[in-house]
Amino acid sequence: MTTLLQQLANGLVLGALYGLVALGYTMVYGILQLINFAHGEVVMVGAFGALTAWYFMPAGLLGSWPVALAIGILVAMVTSVVVALTVERLAYRPLRHAPRLAPLISAIGMSFVLQEIVRIFYPINSDGELEPGVGAKSARAFRLDSFPEGQVTVGSVSVSYLGVIIVVVSVALMAGLQTFVLRSRTGRAMRATAQDPDTTRLMGIDTDRVVVITFALGAALAGVAGVFYGLYSGGVATDMGFLLGLKAFTAAVLGGIGNLSGAVLGGFVLGIVEALATQFIPGGSAYKDAFAFAVLILVLLFRPTGLLGEKVSTRA
Amino acid sequence: MSTPIDPTPAAGAAAEPVTPEVLDEDRRGIVGRAAARVDELVRPIARPLALAGAGLLALGSLAPWAQFRVVDPVSGEAYPGKQSLGTIPNGLSPLESGHRLYTLVLAVGVLALLLRGGKGRFGAVRAAATGAFVITWFNLFWPGYQDIPGGLAGQGGGLGAIAWGGWLAAVGSLVLLVAVRTLPPVRPAIRPRVLPFWADALLLVGSFALLLGGVVISLAIEEALLFLSFFGFVMSAAAVASRLGAGHVINAAADRRKWFALAGLALTAIVFPFTQGGESYWIRVMASVLVFAAVVLGLNIVIGLAGLLDLGYVAFFGIGAYVGALFSGAAASAIGITLPFPVVLVMGAVIAGTFGVLLGAPTLRLRGDYLAIVTLGFGEIFTKVVNNWDGLTNGPNGIPGIPQLNLLGQNFGDGFTIFGQQLPSFATYYFLELVVLAVFMVIFANLNHSRIGRAWVAIREDEVVAQAMGINTTRFKLMAFAIGATLAGAAGVVNAHLSTQVSPDSYVFNISILLVAAVVLGGMGTIAGSVLGSALLIVLPEKLRFFSDYRILIFGLALVLFMRFRPEGMIPSRRRRQEFHESEEPEENVVVHAGGV
Repeated sequence: MTTLLQQLANGLVLGALYGLVALGYTMVYGILQLINFAHGEVVMVGAFGALTAWYFMPAGLLGSWPVALAIGILVAMVTSVVVALTVERLAYRPLRHAPRLAPLISAIGMSFVLQEIVRIFYPINSDGELEPGVGAKSARAFRLDSFPEGQVTVGSVSVSYLGVIIVVVSVALMAGLQTFVLRSRTGRAMRATAQDPDTTRLMGIDTDRVVVITFALGAALAGVAGVFYGLYSGGVATDMGFLLGLKAFTAAVLGGIGNLSGAVLGGFVLGIVEALATQFIPGGSAYKDAFAFAVLILVLLFRPTGLLGEKVSTRA
Repeated sequence: MSTPIDPTPAAGAAAEPVTPEVLDEDRRGIVGRAAARVDELVRPIARPLALAGAGLLALGSLAPWAQFRVVDPVSGEAYPGKQSLGTIPNGLSPLESGHRLYTLVLAVGVLALLLRGGKGRFGAVRAAATGAFVITWFNLFWPGYQDIPGGLAGQGGGLGAIAWGGWLAAVGSLVLLVAVRTLPPVRPAIRPRVLPFWADALLLVGSFALLLGGVVISLAIEEALLFLSFFGFVMSAAAVASRLGAGHVINAAADRRKWFALAGLALTAIVFPFTQGGESYWIRVMASVLVFAAVVLGLNIVIGLAGLLDLGYVAFFGIGAYVGALFSGAAASAIGITLPFPVVLVMGAVIAGTFGVLLGAPTLRLRGDYLAIVTLGFGEIFTKVVNNWDGLTNGPNGIPGIPQLNLLGQNFGDGFTIFGQQLPSFATYYFLELVVLAVFMVIFANLNHSRIGRAWVAIREDEVVAQAMGINTTRFKLMAFAIGATLAGAAGVVNAHLSTQVSPDSYVFNISILLVAAVVLGGMGTIAGSVLGSALLIVLPEKLRFFSDYRILIFGLALVLFMRFRPEGMIPSRRRRQEFHESEEPEENVVVHAGGV
């Protein structure tokens, strides 16, 4: 029983991360019917952005972990947003009216390009020194030394401080996004564009700008997720975005694609399922990545619109 | 009767011509407006300017490009020696004369086409001009990067290394390109006449000879930059020929003399190993190309014909390979039974096909994007299972030591002698795969021109309408999926013997994407496209070893750029090209000359 609860707690932390990334996927798919394959790499770029920020930060600032963490997250968000908007401008916008296959292939291509650019050109080597041309060919340690080690224990369940922060911040951000989309004018524009882009344009709303904002919001969350994921696993590598992105998209589909609450729910469900399966299915940990896809296939078999129903416009 | 609306502007208002370019969405930025301004200046003098540019380029190609000789420290060869033309007495063969010959030929071609008069050939002129510009500027100014060797300026120590001929060529090619951009991309309308047999035969034999020659020469060129220049030249020449209508003429001839064309093509492929002079390296590479092309053809059925995006296709290939390995009698195989090759071939195909049906049945009812993700997931599951199921697949170590095929008394690992010619070791695999590929091609062509193929076209273009017409879309999609999986499985069995070992690393997601790229970049729905795509994606990395670290980056960029500028691929089927450019205006670029071509 205790292991069950413990794994539930672990699953919550993992789920929070999946949810953050899933929101980006679901928003973009809701508006453009495009699986943004490069979103996982946006997460990775955010993490590397934070790594760079911490490299340049004076030791005094690094010593105070709330400040360092906040700055790292901020830089990660900025990096992710810049990259995501560049990708949107170069690889997706020109293909807005092309048949489905073209933007999809373009997205896959951009995913490779981003991975390789960081792998080949990232200028800080594994000793933490500036060395242009070294590239991030191997994984990098990703830690805040001043971060408190320790756990919060409730009953028989203990979660690390990091885990608590992850869940709290993620939930706050997700709630913030929900509020923004439901209450603000831009949010209304986003929902309108997701529902029917042509009519929205007739109403005088600049759908291109809405798309940019959507990408930016998703990317900002992705940047945060990158920092947290890096801290949680202790390291960042150029291929960390691939699997994370895939599972996050699975979470988005699980909850109902296009549906923001669905993405959050799907993220948590997936995280919990993965944690439980790893613990309770014999030999499970080797196959833990495969579980996400098994879940996906099952969901698509029995409830293709997802747990909370999908919200996608029909692309003419 | 109401007065008609008077379209003329009010008196006193300036009559401003609203040129389409001003309203063109792509040209509203700074760069776009500058480009539009340049085009306005150039357009009235386009033709003479182009002639001048081509003339300068031709003159420049004949004049020396390098100020002094640079000796390559590794090979000991003098670099500008390769800058010479074959005609300049230097003891160098035309193969080594390199890019100046190519730019000269392209410049002369442009002159000839422009001086012939009429607008009909501007499309070809544009292709030639672009090719000439790229070859010239790349070879002059490319600075080199890390271990990639530089062009003349890069290796010669800077711009001072370029002699007056080089500068002339640089200026000429730039002027030519700018001038040519304002010419409309028109091509002549070809009304192919029915030619007698000897003319058709000559045409076909000539094309095959050019094809074989081009391939053999490309493979023989060793220096990377020279290869790139030759490759660029071949691509430009092909573009020029196709925009002059050569493609239509040859296709018409091939359609008229089907058996002759097929026999000629087969003969060309068969002759290739004999051109290698006993060296097995490129035969081995070509054998891999053929296996890859077979798999790509299978995927082309799924993506190109039926329009289903499969991102985990490598799993079926891997299933076939592992089946082949397990029953081959390798020492590391967990299944001790050894079965004869034809049996294993069928088994691999059937098992892979079964998995295809199992995967497809539940997921093909869903929308296309979900299929992509599910197939991706399946590919990942396959990799994980193979990596972890030590009992059956030997885990990460794979199954090494697969014995060579031994069919018809011939051990496929050794070379053999035929017609007095000694063929090196992989030639037998090459021929076997040629047979396999030929069978796949027959299957592809038959499917394409059948009721099934037409159903796929209908499903691809508008699934709802297809269903309304009474087509059971799920059944046809499943058929495509299953056939694709079966073909991949069969190819996998062959591949197991060719590479003598199977391991999980050879059947990963990256290979799936490589397969998709070969289909998409080569051209969807055509056999030639698949073969070309596979050949390029396998041979180019081999040839350009210098770029090996940047391979995936270049690959990703190629995907993005192709989707932006030519999403239908290099050799698309006509229908596919129309599907991709549906939202654009129809091309106003066919000029029909009165009285024939």
